[in-house]
Amino acid sequence: MLDAAEKTPAVINPKIFARGLNVFYGKKQAVFDVDLDVIDRSVTSLIGPSGCGKSTFLRCLNRMNDTITSCSVNGSIIFDGQEIAEYDPVYLRSRIGMVFQKPNPFPKSIYDNVAYGPRIHGMVRNKGELDDLVEDALRKGAMWDEVKDRLDSVGTGLSGGQQQRLCIARAIATKPEVLLMDEPCSALDPIATAQIEELIHELRKNFCVIIVTHSMQQAARVSENTAFFHLGNLVEFGATQKIFTNPDDPRTESYITGRIG
Amino acid sequence: MEKHIVSQFDSDLEAIQAHILKMGGLVEMAISEAMRAFVQKDTELAQSVRAQDSAIDALEELINEDAARVIALRAPTAVDLRIILSVIKVSANLERIGDYAKNLAKRTGVLIQMNEIEDASNALRRLAREVELMLKDALDAYVQRDVALAEDIISRDNDVDQMYNGLFRQFITFMMEDPRNITGCMHLHFMAKNIERMGDHVTSIAEQVIFIVTGELPSEPRDKADETSSFKA
Repeated sequence: MLDAAEKTPAVINPKIFARGLNVFYGKKQAVFDVDLDVIDRSVTSLIGPSGCGKSTFLRCLNRMNDTITSCSVNGSIIFDGQEIAEYDPVYLRSRIGMVFQKPNPFPKSIYDNVAYGPRIHGMVRNKGELDDLVEDALRKGAMWDEVKDRLDSVGTGLSGGQQQRLCIARAIATKPEVLLMDEPCSALDPIATAQIEELIHELRKNFCVIIVTHSMQQAARVSENTAFFHLGNLVEFGATQKIFTNPDDPRTESYITGRIG
Repeated sequence: MEKHIVSQFDSDLEAIQAHILKMGGLVEMAISEAMRAFVQKDTELAQSVRAQDSAIDALEELINEDAARVIALRAPTAVDLRIILSVIKVSANLERIGDYAKNLAKRTGVLIQMNEIEDASNALRRLAREVELMLKDALDAYVQRDVALAEDIISRDNDVDQMYNGLFRQFITFMMEDPRNITGCMHLHFMAKNIERMGDHVTSIAEQVIFIVTGELPSEPRDKADETSSFKA
């Protein structure tokens, strides 16, 4: 465990931050001693080549790696001033929502997809409240107008881009504070991608968004801050504009200019 | 520098920079031939310098088109982006220098028909020689990404400004001595001013070298050694 001084964040009031984070899959170390501060109400993107540890790092933030038996994590992640290990994982994931690479709506109605989280967390007392919450989440997910007349249709019947926005609405419905997105647009066409990016732009007003993306242009477009991972190390972290115009580390420069894979 | 994974990207960047060097070569030649025409009173050569300016202009257009294409197709970042931004600026600087050389040739055509003004042509030739050397070094610094040389060029522009100040005073003296010198001296003064302005554009090219390498333009404001705008005759 780190002492209190080492847990002091480098930026003012980060929503979530990591100190000395190491992750192992069996004996193989995937993430090496990462310190990272994520600011609230902003978008932070994690970039880097395949296998660089960015997704592994992201999955640590809401303890998704707990579900992998060979995976062990040490170091410290502080969310709202408290070690995430001290949270109940189900409660933690209601406050740190996640959206995955492939849209994965439940084989239920659009309404039930969004209502699922609030129901299991006992967030509403009656149908009226639940209706309001579903509408609010679908509005924040930028798809209310598209689906308000067919809330009973099955979520898996939507187009890929709509499914992904439904998954974002579903993640929003539990009123999380942090949204983790693991390559949310990689299975989508450019139009649906643009809609998700527009949505991410809106989400930053209410959420702390952390996005893993293979598209560097996407990172450049949507995020305020960018972290570059390489071979499990956090190589460089800073303002997106600086990373993409004049990065400090030659490895970052090589990666973003397309010189190393 | 490491190669891009997409080798065509490297070819694009190399091609566009090769155009810059070709353009630089033409501009160097334009200055040197314009001055040779001036010294040797060669009307034909002066005319040919004026005619060749269109080749310089065409290269600038080509470079701008290529730069736009690379931005659209390859979305350059970091050093690649700085290279593309720099070629747009450097080609504009070279195009301006080319225009000044053309103007030297134009005035040479007029001056040939007048009485020669003593010493002025030698001083003007020294000034042009200095700027020509600065341009050659700036193009070398551009190719070699040589920040030290670029900084040296920027400091040498002060010498050019000083030389121009000297010429300015000299011309005023000539004009006061003999009003028949006024027309000639006015043309010579425009030529000197054109050469001094070339030096400013060369300095801007040197600044682009620093920008490519460091990502920042030199921040210190340069001392302005051209004081003729506040000169009291």
